[in-house]
Amino acid sequence: MPDRFTMLTEEPAADAPVIAQWQEELDRNLGRMKNFAEQVLNPKEPLVGQTPKQEIYRKNKSRLYRYESSRRYRTPLLFVPNLGISRPYIFDLLPGGSFVEHMTRQGFDFYLLDWGVFGPEDNQLTLEDCVTRILPRMAKKALEASGAGELSVLGYCMGAPLSACFIAVYPEIRVRNFVNMAGPIDFSKSGQFRVWLDRKYFDADKFVDTLGQIPADLVKAGFKLLKPTMDVTTGLNLWWNLWNDAYVEGFRALNKWANDYVAFPGEFFRQWVKEFYQENRMIRGELRLAGKAVRLEAIRCPVFVVGAKEDYIAPPDCVKALIHAVGSQDKEYVELPGGHISLIAGRGAAIHCWPKVSAWLAPRSE
Amino acid sequence: MADNSSTHALFDLWKKQLEEGTQAWARLVGQWGQAGQGQIPDPLQFWRPFMDQGIAAWTKLLTQGPATPELLGQWKQFLDQWIAAWGKVLEQAMGTEAFAQALGKYLDQWLSLQGPAKKVAEESTEATLQALGVPSRSQVVGIARQLVDLEDRIEGLEDRLGALLARMDDLFKSLEDHEAAAARRAAERVAQ
Repeated sequence: MPDRFTMLTEEPAADAPVIAQWQEELDRNLGRMKNFAEQVLNPKEPLVGQTPKQEIYRKNKSRLYRYESSRRYRTPLLFVPNLGISRPYIFDLLPGGSFVEHMTRQGFDFYLLDWGVFGPEDNQLTLEDCVTRILPRMAKKALEASGAGELSVLGYCMGAPLSACFIAVYPEIRVRNFVNMAGPIDFSKSGQFRVWLDRKYFDADKFVDTLGQIPADLVKAGFKLLKPTMDVTTGLNLWWNLWNDAYVEGFRALNKWANDYVAFPGEFFRQWVKEFYQENRMIRGELRLAGKAVRLEAIRCPVFVVGAKEDYIAPPDCVKALIHAVGSQDKEYVELPGGHISLIAGRGAAIHCWPKVSAWLAPRSE
Repeated sequence: MADNSSTHALFDLWKKQLEEGTQAWARLVGQWGQAGQGQIPDPLQFWRPFMDQGIAAWTKLLTQGPATPELLGQWKQFLDQWIAAWGKVLEQAMGTEAFAQALGKYLDQWLSLQGPAKKVAEESTEATLQALGVPSRSQVVGIARQLVDLEDRIEGLEDRLGALLARMDDLFKSLEDHEAAAARRAAERVAQ
């Protein structure tokens, strides 16, 4: 290194920006070390789901929560997330980065259905139970609590097909608007899961009959396999941004959620895989729940469908299919940047997605 | 000093190498399959030029000017692209019917082993708990199921009660309407 040394001593002005850059990099490395030590020696449990809420109703493991708002809009909003897989606090991850907080700030009377964490005693719970017994009851309770005559339903991921079935089968519960966010509808276009769960290779009956409940670790393995490089990318990005306290705080919260998997009740899993992934019955009009045919064309309320460009769990085409299946006149599809999770959680969601959803719902919720 | 274009050039070089490497791998595996188990191929055979060229390119880049932290940024960008490229390769490989078939076979075998093992473990735990006079898992699950059933029945009763109350409200309302109409008629008669 004598050449470099000579350069530094003879032409200090030329290298000043380089020195400043190295100084900055040194500071970052010190920050990285500080945060790394804290992460290892004193790991703090991140505080998630901090928006004030009130439990309205409980049915077995499921809970209905109401989030306080100014109630600028008369029509309450029932949010239906996925059952199993993960916990719903991703929608209220951190203050300033929460979909729930955004919607309540906009003035929506917001109700979240938390399906809960199921145990072996719930293995007999079917998809039919969820659509015909839990969802209608929760919708009625939301209506009672809000004092409104009709409500909007927002289904995310698996919550969207479940909500679609519920709306199609229960016209007596007045649904004013339906929003599908990254919810699979046409399972023939559902990407890698469709191939892996094909009945030629995947025996859902054997799975449920052997295991009873589908354990959280197995669910985790399935999702990790979808994106095998995800953990490497996450680790690399964490190292790169480890000096940034705000990033680390966000990472800790997201990482807690990303590793908090939930088991599937056995019978639910059987019905979900066979009737949706393997037979694609809902879009084909062949699904029957509680003796009633599920006809998506019976959905006539305004429908808003949001797909994510890089969604590998529910690819855009699979989500978009709802637009062509419903009988609504007022319907709209938007495709936003991001993946299955970043569509609804994180900085990108706050910019691209949340304002779009609230802006679409606002005039239709007066 | 290295700029973005040099990183892209470097990345293109690596991508090309990756593609060539994958093809070489496929050929290697194909040959192995044809030759049988006797000839074990050296999987590092195609990685060596790939790594050598990468290191050579980075060395060239580092000698172009003074080392700055920007180089770290470029390295990070390069790694991101490299992982993304690998992600795509893996995604393509795992999206095939062949992979689904292999996965299905693996899961089937795992379930065949898991089933009897689970049964034995459950039976022995059950027997131990019974011997100790402690409620077993299946008994606790049974009680929990009964509680769920009870909750459902209470909800059913709640629904029926709600429906009855609604009907009673309707009846009271129509009764009040009748009374009001009768009172109105009586008042009209008195007035006449």
